[in-house]
Amino acid sequence: MAELTLPDSRRCQYFFLYDGSKVRGEGDPTRQGICYFYPEETPSDKQDLLCSQLAGVGRCVSELSSSRVSTLRLRRCKFAIRMKDDFFWALGCSVDTPTVSVCELLDQLIDLFCFYNGPVRTSYEVNSQETLAARWTCFLSHLLPGHSPLTYIFSCLRTMDSTNVDPLLLLKAALILQACQRCPLVLAGCILFKGRVVSTQLSPELTMKVMVHESETYNKAQRTNGTSPPGSFGCAVSSTGVFLTPPELQHLQSPPVNKDSSSHSTPQKDAPPKRTRLSRTLSDTPSSESEPSDPSSSHSPLKLSFSPHLSELDSVFSPAPTQSGSPTCSPPPPPPPPSSQRRNSHEAQEESLDESCYYSFHDSAGGDSQGESFAFKANPRLNGGDGSEFDFSGPSANKTMSGDNEVCCRSTKGHMTEVKRLTPPPQTFGSNEKSSLIPMTLYLHRVNSLVLVLLVEPHFFSDTASKEEVYHSSLASLNGLEAHLRTISPAAPEPPGQYLFAHYDCIQNTLATNVSGRAVGAPEHPFVRATSLLHSHFCGTETLQEAIIRSAGTAVYGTRSVAQETFFQQLGGPPRNSGIPNHQDSAFSLPSKARHRLLKHGVNLL
Amino acid sequence: MKCLLIASESAEILFHWTDQEFQQNVQEKYRSSQEEGEGLPAFEDIISTLFAPIIISCGTMVYRQGDSYTSFTTENNHIYVLCQFDECLYIAVNGDGEEKEDDLRRKLYVMRKITEVMFGMVTLSGSLLRKELRPQDTEQRVRLWKHLQSLLDTYNYLRENDQSFLVEAVERLIHPTLCEQCIEFLERRLVQQINSSSQVERAGEEVLHTFILVHTKLLAFYSSRTASTLNTSDLLTLIIMAQNMYPSNVELDEPSPEDAESTSGSGPESFYTPEPSPSSRDSSSSAEQPARGSTPVFEFVDPDIQMAEDSLHTLEISPPDPSTPRRVFLELKDGQLPMVPHSMYCLPLWPGITLVLLTKVPNIQLTRSVYSFLEDFTKLEKCLNEGQAGSGAARGQLNMHNTRSKLDKFIRDLGPNELQCVQLLNVWTEFKNRAFTRGGSGFNKDLIPLCKSMKTQLCSLYRQRFLTESGSADGPRCLSPALQERAQTMVQEKLMDWKDFLLVKSKRNITMVSYLEEFPGLVHFIWVDRSSGQIIAPSLSITERTTSELGKGPVAHYIKSKVWGLVRTTRQYLRKGYSTVTLRDGDFYFCYFLWFENENGYRLEAGDIPILPDDSLPIGMLGYDYYRKLLRYYGKNHQGEAVKCYELLTVHLGVIPTEIILQHCRQLASKLWEPSRNPLL
Repeated sequence: MAELTLPDSRRCQYFFLYDGSKVRGEGDPTRQGICYFYPEETPSDKQDLLCSQLAGVGRCVSELSSSRVSTLRLRRCKFAIRMKDDFFWALGCSVDTPTVSVCELLDQLIDLFCFYNGPVRTSYEVNSQETLAARWTCFLSHLLPGHSPLTYIFSCLRTMDSTNVDPLLLLKAALILQACQRCPLVLAGCILFKGRVVSTQLSPELTMKVMVHESETYNKAQRTNGTSPPGSFGCAVSSTGVFLTPPELQHLQSPPVNKDSSSHSTPQKDAPPKRTRLSRTLSDTPSSESEPSDPSSSHSPLKLSFSPHLSELDSVFSPAPTQSGSPTCSPPPPPPPPSSQRRNSHEAQEESLDESCYYSFHDSAGGDSQGESFAFKANPRLNGGDGSEFDFSGPSANKTMSGDNEVCCRSTKGHMTEVKRLTPPPQTFGSNEKSSLIPMTLYLHRVNSLVLVLLVEPHFFSDTASKEEVYHSSLASLNGLEAHLRTISPAAPEPPGQYLFAHYDCIQNTLATNVSGRAVGAPEHPFVRATSLLHSHFCGTETLQEAIIRSAGTAVYGTRSVAQETFFQQLGGPPRNSGIPNHQDSAFSLPSKARHRLLKHGVNLL
Repeated sequence: MKCLLIASESAEILFHWTDQEFQQNVQEKYRSSQEEGEGLPAFEDIISTLFAPIIISCGTMVYRQGDSYTSFTTENNHIYVLCQFDECLYIAVNGDGEEKEDDLRRKLYVMRKITEVMFGMVTLSGSLLRKELRPQDTEQRVRLWKHLQSLLDTYNYLRENDQSFLVEAVERLIHPTLCEQCIEFLERRLVQQINSSSQVERAGEEVLHTFILVHTKLLAFYSSRTASTLNTSDLLTLIIMAQNMYPSNVELDEPSPEDAESTSGSGPESFYTPEPSPSSRDSSSSAEQPARGSTPVFEFVDPDIQMAEDSLHTLEISPPDPSTPRRVFLELKDGQLPMVPHSMYCLPLWPGITLVLLTKVPNIQLTRSVYSFLEDFTKLEKCLNEGQAGSGAARGQLNMHNTRSKLDKFIRDLGPNELQCVQLLNVWTEFKNRAFTRGGSGFNKDLIPLCKSMKTQLCSLYRQRFLTESGSADGPRCLSPALQERAQTMVQEKLMDWKDFLLVKSKRNITMVSYLEEFPGLVHFIWVDRSSGQIIAPSLSITERTTSELGKGPVAHYIKSKVWGLVRTTRQYLRKGYSTVTLRDGDFYFCYFLWFENENGYRLEAGDIPILPDDSLPIGMLGYDYYRKLLRYYGKNHQGEAVKCYELLTVHLGVIPTEIILQHCRQLASKLWEPSRNPLL
């Protein structure tokens, strides 16, 4: 991304992953246990010191309290700690970063790693430390960019400024995603434009993970040779293997009524009439003329999701299929090394599976037969769950569709049943089957700065028909959408000197603010500091609804509801006050000012 | 699940305090890691083994990284707080959620303050403090630890139940007439009489301060004209010590005659242990009941230890003579001269009412000299460490030649007979040979060990003069028991008619009812004058027997917990420089203001307040006087003006409009300003 700025290295001071199992005996050097250390230029004796001392103290405290250490603070640095099996992660930030934010950042980092690489233990067995170190560095740089100092407080998704975009475009994006979902192999997806979310069907956490790959491939493409020729199937589309946790998958598969009041995410459930309307909308959209709004899809394109993120970490460590997903698309990853002695037959089987997956992916001309055979091959592994919740009667009616707007729904009932059952069979992975990671594939279709990202079943790429259907059905719409989004001029920057605000949506994980990332300068610093304090306070006190805090020079108002937190500061001259209790004090007029000023940003505090 | 321990750099446990739950937990943990059939070692050893890796790692980090741990938290919300004070590491642990990180750090600072008051400048030398905190003699050690443990218990109890210890300011009984009469009585009758009695009878001591406590509240305080002011930090610590000696049983509304009888006269010094059952109130040693029904401090499970415990009881049969004063080390002249020895006499008048006398001990000028020499050597050591002692500027600043002549004279005046003086002289001679003679090495890093040992010698001289009373041949030097008894009787006679009133008044000092008409919707408030360290707040005592204005049961407890939480929250904001905070929390609206005024009550503009890291010193006046620092910082821009600092905290019902609430705050601030004009000290 062009806007990507270098991380403020002072904010994140250290990050390391230490493997205690490598340092058991007295004589074992600490070095052996250090899997990754950031910043990498840190002198090795300092790396050794931090790793050994922190891990040692962490273990001692964990034993004393019979519970894992979660934070560890030094006078000059604040560490979030995660311990699992013998692994020990520590992320050290400056002491003025809120503790909740540091912990959140570390969790995200670990999740991100596991999303692209699978379980940590196995990925370290399969890959070299250097390869994985490069990935940690890459993920770190994604999580710690300095868009705005507020990103350290709220880990949020970057979205299109909805006040600046024609809502019909957002609707169109949502419809493209829905159309793709007609293909039973497509779970869900999102559309990104210049590193910002246009529309997503995924949970905020998943969207965040998916975006990392997108921007990574984009950066790489930019570096090598500019733009890819549009229209040619091979270059615009790429893929990578990813891993979902069972709760994530469950959430994606669960019937829409449970996640959202609307039902736009799974068209299979919908009745045919709606589908025809959908396809008409798609064909009409290039004219972007308004249409009587569809009640089911007219509301926010970012769908509400209450995905349970419990036990995501747990899921990371259990033995699971070894698949080395690569965060970059080209060149394609080499086939995994031949199975070694210690792998059991199941894993070996999976590897052969992976291979077939790779082959089928590259051999895009490969016929249906290969795809079919793959599906059957996958059957013994994928079968065994309770896939009965899916009703496939609907999609079979879709075969009538044709042309550009044809949505992929080529399926027979039997085929569907096989592939939709994804829970790993218990006999394969013993007692840990519940917490293992499930391999999936990410499908990316880029049209200049616009990217369609879909989470698809691993054998989607071997299924040429599905692939082509998804590609062709979305191509025209994507081109149209891209053309429209490109013409949108960036919102005029707010004239400085009025006020500062930040509006955080806890459900969608989005932040609206007029605090720019550029000037980490004087006027914004007090606001960021106050926001950080208030956010921590809101996190720790459920009953707290609003707060005004005032120092000699600044007064900041914060208010929150279940779904959002809003912070507001009036700029321009220090608030008149003498520190004494005084109802005429300008600080106390902040709530009403915030109410009025923020209306035009689409923030309703009434 | 609470624990506090002090450890030396070599991971030796110098003191520990644990509650029953923590102790059991730790023992089980140890047992599970042990082989079958082995007996459980002493608790002290277990705790030492378990904490050793943390203590050692702490030292390593300081040494190699120049940074030290300040806290750990675990997923089940256990909190560990660590503070390094000189050469000792203090660790506090909480695993029951009752204390937050700030509370634990505060507790460590209070513990540190208690050791300072008890051991004075000995705390400046790590090796001497180690000996002091951990006497070789087991009996002595157990006795000392029990005393310290009970002081901590008392502090914990007060912080959780007494508003004045919540905000760390002194609360006075609001009764101007009686207060004035008492001060006059203390001045004209009591202090005069004691100080004019014969030199022998008062053993050369002189009463400097005297005050009457009703529970934790101050009825009257008088300082003689020659005395410098007693600071709030010291006064609060003395109140904890007095409370520890004569705990007021908060469960009793009025003392019964038996109680009065058994404790009048000289109550035995008790190393009080909170009893598990709330019914025991047999004697003064029955102690207050920690409201949470916490278990006794020392209750060993292991039979071997139980035996040691039993032998302890024999110790307690002969408690130290009650007329023996406590040696306390207090700060003079606003911190310029710290840890000056005083004797503290706690004379119980009736249960809940105590007379405290603070006397100046002879040879006080020695403190001043020792302290200035200690400062000189500390400065020199710092310069040597930075490798700049050789430079002319440093030399001029240090002026070691001046120190040399002063120290020579000091040692000459001490008289060379005592062993301690001989040792000091020896080290000093060696120092001089190294530093000043031609053949010596001069001022370089080699001198650092000698600097350290000079400091140790000075501290040890101080210790020998002021801490080991038995050293002097003519027995303990203190006010004679007869004189003490006379003082006690005098005040008893004076207050006889007021006694019952005072005990009730101390529980209903200020009532919310009197404010309700003027301030409808106001639930509670706390007003603090930080310049004088006084608090004014409606009573909020919630006990099983008495009913507060808020009633009893869940509502009262809820409001109390909100007030406690609010104080904690506003401190966090103050630490970050925010002096005004308003919060809408549930059904309540909270306000907090801190502001400055000059002496005439003219409000000064708000200034910047220093921004401190989260793990810095606790905001308060007991363990560390934050507000004194704040006043000094603010006063820099107001030279020649006496600056006052005030705080106001209010709790309103949330339905009251904000404008009205703010108006209330303003009115309340000016209304409360008046009574505080009565001088406290």
